[in-house]
Amino acid sequence: MSAGAQPERRLRVLSADDEVVVTHEDIDRAHDRARVSAARRGRTLRSRAWLLWLLIGPGILVMLGENDGPSMLSYAATGAKFGVGFFIPFVILTFGMAVVVQEMTVRLGAATHRGHAELIFERFGPFWGWFSMIDLAIGNFLTLITEFIAIRAGLGFFGIPPWAAVLVALAVLFSALLSHRYWTWERVTLVAAAFNLIFIPVALMAHPHWGAVGHALVSWKPLPGFSNDTLMIVLSDIGATVTPWMLFFQQSATVDKGMTTKDIRFGRIDTLVGAGLAAAAAVGAILATAPLFGHISAENFQAAQFAQALQPFIGHIGASLFALGMVEAGIVASITISTSSAYAFGEVAQRPHSLNLPVKEGKSFYAVLGLCAAAAAGIVLIPGLPLVFVVLVVNVVAVLAMPPALVFLYLLVNDKQIMEGVKSPAWMNALAAAVVVVLTAAGVLYGISVVAPNAFAWMGRL
Amino acid sequence: MDSKVEHEHASLADTSLVLETLEHDQLVSAKREPVPRRRLKRGELALVWALRLYLVFMLVVVFWQAWIAVR
Repeated sequence: MSAGAQPERRLRVLSADDEVVVTHEDIDRAHDRARVSAARRGRTLRSRAWLLWLLIGPGILVMLGENDGPSMLSYAATGAKFGVGFFIPFVILTFGMAVVVQEMTVRLGAATHRGHAELIFERFGPFWGWFSMIDLAIGNFLTLITEFIAIRAGLGFFGIPPWAAVLVALAVLFSALLSHRYWTWERVTLVAAAFNLIFIPVALMAHPHWGAVGHALVSWKPLPGFSNDTLMIVLSDIGATVTPWMLFFQQSATVDKGMTTKDIRFGRIDTLVGAGLAAAAAVGAILATAPLFGHISAENFQAAQFAQALQPFIGHIGASLFALGMVEAGIVASITISTSSAYAFGEVAQRPHSLNLPVKEGKSFYAVLGLCAAAAAGIVLIPGLPLVFVVLVVNVVAVLAMPPALVFLYLLVNDKQIMEGVKSPAWMNALAAAVVVVLTAAGVLYGISVVAPNAFAWMGRL
Repeated sequence: MDSKVEHEHASLADTSLVLETLEHDQLVSAKREPVPRRRLKRGELALVWALRLYLVFMLVVVFWQAWIAVR
């Protein structure tokens, strides 16, 4: 009988010094880890592949989860506004930045077995902990709203009314939770996330000029003009790949999965594979909308409008796949982002926080997860709200909130007292510092473009 | 170690599995022990404050610009 069927089982091991209570969550995690231990004993190629299969998950989920509604819209706008050129290698580079940052969360989660919010609170105190939590809560909620906007718009392409679209998304989100097992949740969500690759066949339907793609990859050309529009797309594309919720989610999922320092190498592979798949889908979205370049002004386009505009170029099937891709992006991200909020809340409030918990033992965890998603879904249905406001700011807010979050990640992952000999190597620290500098510089340039809107036009003329 | 095992509802097999496969600090009960506090050094404190002020200032800029754009 599986542990999941016996939620009330508890056992105490008492010693003279301490007391250990073995909970349902421990038993479920132990079953998962027993399979990992058994696979690790094998020396054949097949057993190594099985071990990899058991240990992948958080990295792929976080990367494909971040290819969410606003991110895919950002890539679509990139293709429509700039065509094939600088932004293709640039987007791949941003995924490289994401790998650097996310690898640190794997290392931190595997070494400490604590979530990101919990570590900031306990190591640096509630003052800094609350700042981080407020950043996360605002960013996550705004992003969740945009996921439901993408779902509503994507299903709207097929004539599905908004209320039905939102209900479908919530039904998928809650069904993924039904098993009350991290492993099952992870596999169900991975299957859903795989549909993000739908943007690759859509790109093929657009018949991209492969010579131009190859030239862009090698030379980063043609370069876009230096303008406020270019800067907005740069910021949106960065915000589409590196955001604070990813740090909190992957570290908590690594802990919930039960990964240890022995698994860091596999966690790194997981993150790299996830980044590769997500980058392929992102480039796919750019190539899919590149035919719109020079034909149409795609400023402030939503998912359904992109699909409609693409119909003459990729046909009805291609446009339908594009709209479905937007729906998938929104659904998977709504699952991962609401889970990241629930993990963080549980860690800070010191309430049980695991996808291995039965509802009875994890009421607050599931309540936060469900309420965040339901509230965001409800807001999308309120008529007359300026939702375009949220879509405009969400990726930019993500870029701006990253440097403070990264500094805490950097401090934690280099903390000898908690890292058990697996603290970050110097070259990784140098790359992380470079990411902080790039993100801060991008934010400062954005600030200049707002305060002095003509500054870039003037610089472009020099 | 002199230890005593109290059964409530769990099977001994499950408990043995937990104690064999999980590291001690992976247990839910072990996580109730807080991680010791660390004071930020002066340079670190200056950096986190600088980035905090940067974030607050930039958020005002973003929301103001988006509000203007929407209106």
